[in-house]
Amino acid sequence: MKSLEARLARMAIKGDQQAFAELVGLYQDKLYHMAYRMLNNRQEAEDVVQEAFLRVYNNLERYDENMKFSTWIYRIATNLCIDRLRKRKPSYSLDAESSEFEGLDGYSMIPSDNRTPESETLLSETQSIIHQAMATLPPKYKTVMVLRYLHELSLQEIGDALGMPVTTVKTRVHRGREFLRKKLERTL
Amino acid sequence: MKCNVAIVWMHDYLDDDLPREQVKELKEHLMACPDCRQRFEQLKRTDAFLHATMVEGLHDSADAGTDSAASRALTEKIMRQLPAQRRKQGWTAFIRRHPALTVAVVFCLVMFSSFLAMWGQNSELIVRGTDLQQLVFEGDRVIVPEGVQIHGDLTIENGIAEVHGEVLGNLTVIDGTTNLASTAKIVGENRQINQAIDWLWYKVTTTVSGLNF
Repeated sequence: MKSLEARLARMAIKGDQQAFAELVGLYQDKLYHMAYRMLNNRQEAEDVVQEAFLRVYNNLERYDENMKFSTWIYRIATNLCIDRLRKRKPSYSLDAESSEFEGLDGYSMIPSDNRTPESETLLSETQSIIHQAMATLPPKYKTVMVLRYLHELSLQEIGDALGMPVTTVKTRVHRGREFLRKKLERTL
Repeated sequence: MKCNVAIVWMHDYLDDDLPREQVKELKEHLMACPDCRQRFEQLKRTDAFLHATMVEGLHDSADAGTDSAASRALTEKIMRQLPAQRRKQGWTAFIRRHPALTVAVVFCLVMFSSFLAMWGQNSELIVRGTDLQQLVFEGDRVIVPEGVQIHGDLTIENGIAEVHGEVLGNLTVIDGTTNLASTAKIVGENRQINQAIDWLWYKVTTTVSGLNF
């Protein structure tokens, strides 16, 4: 039997917008959370989600039904996130003027961003260390870590989603974990 | 067991990727080695913290109302940005699926159009034959005078052939007409070609027979 996603995708190909809306409903939050963890910026995360679904929509007939739909959509979204991270300046500073919003620096973007999940809860020291450490991780490690810890994908699933061998995924998870352990060493 | 092997196994264990016998071995090593035990504790905590931190704040129950409103707004944005009509991908999809067929079709199309261009192109009078000295030309008319014998074949393109004498070979008229007088005598074949298909057949047969010799 075909998966729910595959059936919805077929209906969407035939022009059923409602079916596509259901697909969006299924994956929107997952993609958004992932993009937010990758990019640390609500607006950019929203943009990535929108762009990802547009790509999905335009390439629906290329979706291979033997592949898990989640794998496919994660691949599209992670690629978009990695592209964005690469385009950023290597050091992402609050003092740096954002190229996308001219005249606005990182500080002026924070107050408008009052829906930050962390704004409600005071971050514990550990969490802020983890966020800082994650921000310094290179994109290829970050992607693997986000998929592993946010979506709890297995190593195999991450490999499928990123199109890399499981051994590579394993190495990256190990190194990422080791990196964070070192950062946290004092507080652990 | 060496400590560096143990560290790799610790990670494998945290990834649910360590076979059961090795889990046992690892545990034995951890019992014996305090450094590794500490390392393992740290890794386990890092793992737990990482997971908690990643998920933390994303599914806030206090924030649920605004969160679902925001996600509805995002859904709407996503649906609005979609192209109003699905791109008609009938032929592009076809091309993607049948590249060889597409190439063949394009090839035939080019050949056919060039052939048509060649066919329509020439409107000047062309006369071919082995014995042309005795022919009389009047405008686009080619006359074989009475009492004259043309040796060999005679081919006339874009003109009128008026035959009063004898042609000791084939007479072929392309895109023109043939007027035979009562005194005319054509030993070979008398052919008139006006259709594109006839013309093509003629070209092909002459080329092939040319190749044979």
